[in-house]
Amino acid sequence: MVEEPHTTRWQVVGHSVRGASHERSGAPNQDAIYWLPQSGTGSRLILTMADGHGGAKHFRSAVGARLAVETAAQVSYDFLAGAQAEEAGSLSAIKRAAEEWLPKMLVRNWLEAVEHHKGSHPLLEAERDLLHAGDVSSSLPLAYGATLLVAVVAESFILYMQLGDGEILTVSSEGAVSRPLPKDERLFANETTSLCAPDAWRDFRICFQALSQTPPAVILLSTDGYSNSFRDESGFLKVGSDILEMIRADGLSQVKENMEAWLLDSTRAGSGDDITLGIICRTDVTQSSPSNGVLNESDS
Amino acid sequence: MSKRPGGELATRPLHFIWMADCSGSMAVDGKIQSLNTAIKEAIPNMQSVADENPNAQVLVRAIKFSSGAQWHVSQPTDIADFRWEDLSADGVTDMGKALMMVAEQLRIPPMTDRALPPVLVLISDGQPTDDYASGLQALMAEPWGRKAVRISIAIGEDADTEVLQRFIGNPELKPLQANNPEALVKYIKWVSTAVLKSASAPASQTTDSAQAGMNVPIPILPDSEPSSADDVW
Repeated sequence: MVEEPHTTRWQVVGHSVRGASHERSGAPNQDAIYWLPQSGTGSRLILTMADGHGGAKHFRSAVGARLAVETAAQVSYDFLAGAQAEEAGSLSAIKRAAEEWLPKMLVRNWLEAVEHHKGSHPLLEAERDLLHAGDVSSSLPLAYGATLLVAVVAESFILYMQLGDGEILTVSSEGAVSRPLPKDERLFANETTSLCAPDAWRDFRICFQALSQTPPAVILLSTDGYSNSFRDESGFLKVGSDILEMIRADGLSQVKENMEAWLLDSTRAGSGDDITLGIICRTDVTQSSPSNGVLNESDS
Repeated sequence: MSKRPGGELATRPLHFIWMADCSGSMAVDGKIQSLNTAIKEAIPNMQSVADENPNAQVLVRAIKFSSGAQWHVSQPTDIADFRWEDLSADGVTDMGKALMMVAEQLRIPPMTDRALPPVLVLISDGQPTDDYASGLQALMAEPWGRKAVRISIAIGEDADTEVLQRFIGNPELKPLQANNPEALVKYIKWVSTAVLKSASAPASQTTDSAQAGMNVPIPILPDSEPSSADDVW
C-alpha cells in the first residue's frame, strides 16, 4: 500500500571555494553550484553541482561547469513540471522518465549550451590547437568538460543523478549517513566520467526514491575536492552526521555562515582542489531539539 | 573558526618509488656511482617540488634488484626526511622479483584510493634474469600499478629497452636512454622535478582519454642525447 506523500518543505544552502592549489597556480575555481527556485526554499527543490576538469584540453571547463549546473537545473525544473502533471500513483512513469529521458536531455542541453557559448566566444587559434583535432565541432565539448551532480526533491519522490566524481550523501533523522548511488569503479586515480564524453548519458548513475517513508533529514552534494581532503572515508562521512547536529543546534543559517571557512580550511589542509558543498535540509529538522537522541561519532 | 564538520583533514599521499638495477654490470664504468650521485643530487629538487605543492605529501621509497630484490628504503619516507645511502652492485638482474614486491605495496590497502597516482622509476642496464613478465603482470593487476606513472631509464646500450618499454606500457612514451653520466643526471632530474610536479597536482582526466595510460600529463621530455664521443656506457 502506498502511503500519502509527505508534504515536506526543504531549504538549500551552498558554497564553493577556489582550491588552494588553484590559488597558487592562478587557475580559477572550476566548480559550480546552482539551485532552483532561487529563493532556496519550497516543497520542491533542485540542486545542481559540477566540477570542471581543468587541464590543458579542458580549457573552458569553468564555463562548462557553470553551463552544466544552469542547464541541468532548468531541465530538471521542466521535468518536475511534467511530473506534477502526472496523476497520483504514476510514480513508475516518472521514474522511467527520470532514468531514460532525463539523462539524454541533460547532456543534450549542455551540448547545446556549449555550442551556443562557442558561438559568442569563438575559439582562439591556440585553443583550437589544444583540442588536437581537425574537426573542432566534434571535439569542442572536451574544452568544456565537467562532471554533474543533481538532486531533485519533490512531494512524492527524490531523484539523485551523478555523472563523474563527487559525492552525494543522505543523512537520516537519526544521523545515519549513506550513499544513495552505487560506487562507480571507473572513478579512480583522478579519472572521471564526463559530460564531454561520447554517449555521456549512459554513464549517469541514478537513484529514484519514492517517498513512502520519512525522507532524509539532510542531503549533501559535494565535489571530489571535499572528500579527498579527509584522511579516510569515515572522516568524510562524519561530515553528514556533524552537519545534521549543527543544523539542529545552531540553525541552517549559521551553518551557511560557516561554510566558507570550513571549505577553505579543508582545501588548504587537504586536497588543494576546488571544493563545493551543497546542503538540502528538511525545514522541520531545524525545529528538532539537538537532544532528540541523535548521536554521532563526535559525541562519543 | 567554529568547529568544522567531519574527521581529520590530510593532504594526498604521492608515492614515489626508485627501482634500481644493482646487478654486477652496474659496477662497470662507474654506472652505480653515477646513479648514486644523480639520485642524491635529485633530492633537493624533489624537496623543492614538494614545498611548492603542500597539498601533496611526497613519500619516497627505493627497491634494488640483483640476485633477488630488496627494499633499500622500505618505509614511505617524507621527501623532507629522505636520505640516500649509496647502492653497490653485484649479482644478476632479478627485475621480476622487484616488480612483484612493488606490486604488493601498491595494493589497497596499504595504499588508499584517495592517493595521487604513484610514480615508479625503473632504472636498468641489462636483461632481466628472472621471470620479469610475471612480475610485470602482478604489477599491472593492481589498480594503482596500472594507474601509476611509469618511467624507465636505460643505462647503456646493453639495456633491454623492449622490457623497459613494456614496463611503461604506452607506445607514446619511450625509455630514456642514458649513455653517459651527464645524460643520467639530466633524466633523473627530469623525473624528480617535472614528472613529480605533474603527478602532484594532476587535473581530472576523462575515463576515455585516460585509457591510453596517460592519466597524469607527462611533461615534455628532455632532449635525447645523440651518440657522441662522451658516451661511456
